[in-house]
Amino acid sequence: MADPTFIAMMVVTVGSAIVALEAKEIVYGAIGLAGSLFGVATLFFLLDAPYVAVFQIAVYIGAVAVLILFTVMLVRQERWAKELPTNALSKFAGIATGLAVTIALAFAVLDTGLFSITQTNPADFVKIGELISTGYAPVLEVLALILAASVVGALTLSRVDKEEKK
Amino acid sequence: MSKPITTFEDFIKRILKVVFWVLLFLPLIGVPIYYGLYGYLHLPIDFFALATVKPLEFLAFQINLINTEPFKTLFALTVFPGFTFVAVYSTIFMGWVERKFTAKIQLRTGPMYAGKVEGIAQNFADFFKLLFKEIIIPNGVDTATFVAIPFALMAVAGALIALVPLSPTTYIANPSVGAILVFAVLGFSPLIVLLAGWASNSKYPFLGGLRALHQLVAYEIPLILSLVGAVILSGSLNLAPLVPGGPSIVTAQSGIWFIVLQPLGAIVFFVGALAELERIPFDLPEADSELVAGWQTEYTSMLFGTFQLANFSRMYILAGLFTTFFLGGWLGPAPVPPEVWFILKTTAVMIAMMLPRSVMPRVRIDQLLRAGWVKLLALSFANMFVTMVIVSLGVA
Repeated sequence: MADPTFIAMMVVTVGSAIVALEAKEIVYGAIGLAGSLFGVATLFFLLDAPYVAVFQIAVYIGAVAVLILFTVMLVRQERWAKELPTNALSKFAGIATGLAVTIALAFAVLDTGLFSITQTNPADFVKIGELISTGYAPVLEVLALILAASVVGALTLSRVDKEEKK
Repeated sequence: MSKPITTFEDFIKRILKVVFWVLLFLPLIGVPIYYGLYGYLHLPIDFFALATVKPLEFLAFQINLINTEPFKTLFALTVFPGFTFVAVYSTIFMGWVERKFTAKIQLRTGPMYAGKVEGIAQNFADFFKLLFKEIIIPNGVDTATFVAIPFALMAVAGALIALVPLSPTTYIANPSVGAILVFAVLGFSPLIVLLAGWASNSKYPFLGGLRALHQLVAYEIPLILSLVGAVILSGSLNLAPLVPGGPSIVTAQSGIWFIVLQPLGAIVFFVGALAELERIPFDLPEADSELVAGWQTEYTSMLFGTFQLANFSRMYILAGLFTTFFLGGWLGPAPVPPEVWFILKTTAVMIAMMLPRSVMPRVRIDQLLRAGWVKLLALSFANMFVTMVIVSLGVA
């Protein structure tokens, strides 16, 4: 059952990623992005990491995709991407860069010793919680501070905007 | 040419007539075809001989078939805790209950004719009416997205149906993180509603979609946080036990229901659920006096029917979650089966959700957002911290 699901979800992930990049209508791009992120979430499910998968769905589809779509609709324009004259050199350079990045990432992943892991139990969310509240607590707090600072910054910026309008 | 159908009674008669002819001709055509294939392909079981000569043995065979794996899941998915049960119970039955209940409160009679007894077949009649109406796709809509939206919403509702357990053994899926998976899946709905507003290419749906987005995003956070107290007290994220006797949110309530220990959480969840379902007093996205029907305006026929189905299914799901988290789920005295207890409690919660519709006016959008972001969020945080303090002091 896992293999057909895996293949189907790979097709969904890669296919909607291509849609997200290539769609002329930017709303389709946003939908494609949401589909691609959902595909990644199902891959986490197949990897026996439901906790990660659930937060992938909640954060990326419930928040990020909705935000992108909302922004796109607020500042709607007819054509976002201008048709640039295609240049053979830049095309090959783009493909070469993409390949280089992919190969570098593949080697980096292979180098982590991912294939030597033999643990068969699914990731336990209680253990994740313990790690977050003990060893990784400072990291979590710094992240929370950064998020709070960015929220306050966004609020300040929007407030300045409002006063200027008056 | 047969005479035109004018009443619901005629319609039912016509349906029964069609069913009769189908039942008559199916064996006449089906049996020869089956035996033709039976000789050629060496099929495992002589179904018709078994069914006609030994009906009891055939019944045992069928029961055995339903209890073996692929068919067991299929049955759960399509029939009992799954789609058919929820569609008939929540949309047809509870839809009728809502109409009669609201009517009685407003000193009206409600539907009276279809089905003789208090108009009980009225929602079946409406279902068939919607099924046979023309699907109108207006000019200028984004057809693919427009048609996909009702099905996407129904898919979300279906995924949620699978997660609500009716008893320790009656469920479709029981992942180890059920309590947060429910809210992750609920997070799809703002996206879909916003797309519905966009794809309709009309101003009322678009305004409704934007209002729905604000409302759903604002009330989802208190909705999740109000359950943290229950999760802390039960020490588990499972809605039903993974192994018999294992920890779960419902089995932790065998002593006392969480509505007694978590009254604040229950209130916040109930208000948040009303807003999430876009029910009065939080029906701003639909607001029939201002926005026609909000983001559903351009939808007709069974596409609109699918919206109704998804809305009532979501109402059943959130009422079911309230039952699971605060009213002890399937727990109840023994002779009544646990599924019946669950359905009784869920029905009570759904009727409580229908009550504000007939007694409350619609709130303004600024009141709604202030209540969501300031009051409910603060209350759910207060509930969470009080629960944490009580648990860390070792009282509960």
